[in-house]
Amino acid sequence: MSADVAGTVDTTGFDVDVDLVVVGGGPVGLYAAYYAGFRGMSVAVVDALDHLGGQTAAMYPEKQVFDVAGYAAVKGQHLVDALVEQAESAKPHYVLGEQVVDLVTGPDHALLTTAAGTVLRGRAVLLAAGIGSFAPRPLPVGTEYVSRGVVHFVPRPSDYAGADVVVVGGGDSAVDWATTLEPVARSVALVHRRDAFRAHEASVARLRSSTVEVLTPYEVAEVHGDDVVTGVSLAHESGTVVRRDADVVVAALGFKADLGPLKRWGVDLDRRQVAVDRAQRTSLPRVFAAGDCCGHPDKVTLISVGFGEAATAVNHAAPLVHEGAAVTPGHSSDDQH
Amino acid sequence: MAYVITEACIDAADKACREECPVDCIYEGDRMLYIHPDECVDCGKCVTACPNGAIASEYKLTAELEQFKDVAVEFFETFPHAEGGAEDIGPLGADHPVVASWPSGGAAG
Repeated sequence: MSADVAGTVDTTGFDVDVDLVVVGGGPVGLYAAYYAGFRGMSVAVVDALDHLGGQTAAMYPEKQVFDVAGYAAVKGQHLVDALVEQAESAKPHYVLGEQVVDLVTGPDHALLTTAAGTVLRGRAVLLAAGIGSFAPRPLPVGTEYVSRGVVHFVPRPSDYAGADVVVVGGGDSAVDWATTLEPVARSVALVHRRDAFRAHEASVARLRSSTVEVLTPYEVAEVHGDDVVTGVSLAHESGTVVRRDADVVVAALGFKADLGPLKRWGVDLDRRQVAVDRAQRTSLPRVFAAGDCCGHPDKVTLISVGFGEAATAVNHAAPLVHEGAAVTPGHSSDDQH
Repeated sequence: MAYVITEACIDAADKACREECPVDCIYEGDRMLYIHPDECVDCGKCVTACPNGAIASEYKLTAELEQFKDVAVEFFETFPHAEGGAEDIGPLGADHPVVASWPSGGAAG
């Protein structure tokens, strides 16, 4: 259910009643949350993942990003952490692990419903849905241990200090998480069903020169445990099965993205993106869009562009939320925190 | 359009890229795989996934590989039902004429 980070008390009949509902907790959605607070709006952020950071946290948390303004280089997860910290000033109400499945607009409000049945009411909505709601590709076995030792994210490697960790997967996330955890955990094994990894050469080179035990071609045949994970059985291509102790199994098998629900809300699309005007308005009243989910033929999809779109959208939403509010915000530096 | 599969995929029969693609936009022809130009979201995960170095950004194709951009576009024009997720569509069993007539025996060029 919802993760109520800011401790908002609901007294309205809706589960969440705010000025702005942001759909998507990636970089653009998080920046929009900060910006809503700067404009004096209450804000909720909904994301299908139980984890903030969207594509950045899911797909390249350990990669350096070089094209975000103000950072010569920043790791994906560090950028997300900084955005979450920046957004704290807005006291966002986070609804995580819930996919928005329905959006209905009315004269004064929009109503959004999640797959878990949470109803959010907003005076305005910002779609910052990226390439769609993310769902981790599950391990073929052991899914009953998800969040009891089986995880899909490693936002804070220090959580696994002293643990025996088995990372499963052959892509960038698997390789990067294995090498990131190596100095922290008691042991790290990386299991992949092929000998070749689908990761950047530099990442694989770092893996090969680390103490991470690389087990290929193996697949996870069984996850063992009681209340929590205690080990895994790994099947070699040849049929041999080995058992290994593990406190944590990081299932880094990638993600599937789904823009499906959004397409059913009646919002106009331009090819595969939500069509927006220069104020980031969509075809639906009170509904704006920013970031990768929206576009026009000249759009360049970059985080830095998405930040600008978020600010544009939230400023244009301000008069809808607070009657008489100006679109132009003034300087953030005028308002010393 | 964003990423394009090129000649090094022909007859390679490796599908590691499909395991990485978050939007399932890599469709299976007979002799090679094709990225749907309108469905690709430009994440680039397939580039590092490919053991044959067959995938490149459409903006970074060498002159001799430039034709694979048109190959992809025309392939999906020929098979308009190939959309909305490669897993559900399955192998299409056919190729773009340029690929179908490509000399066998690997990257002859």
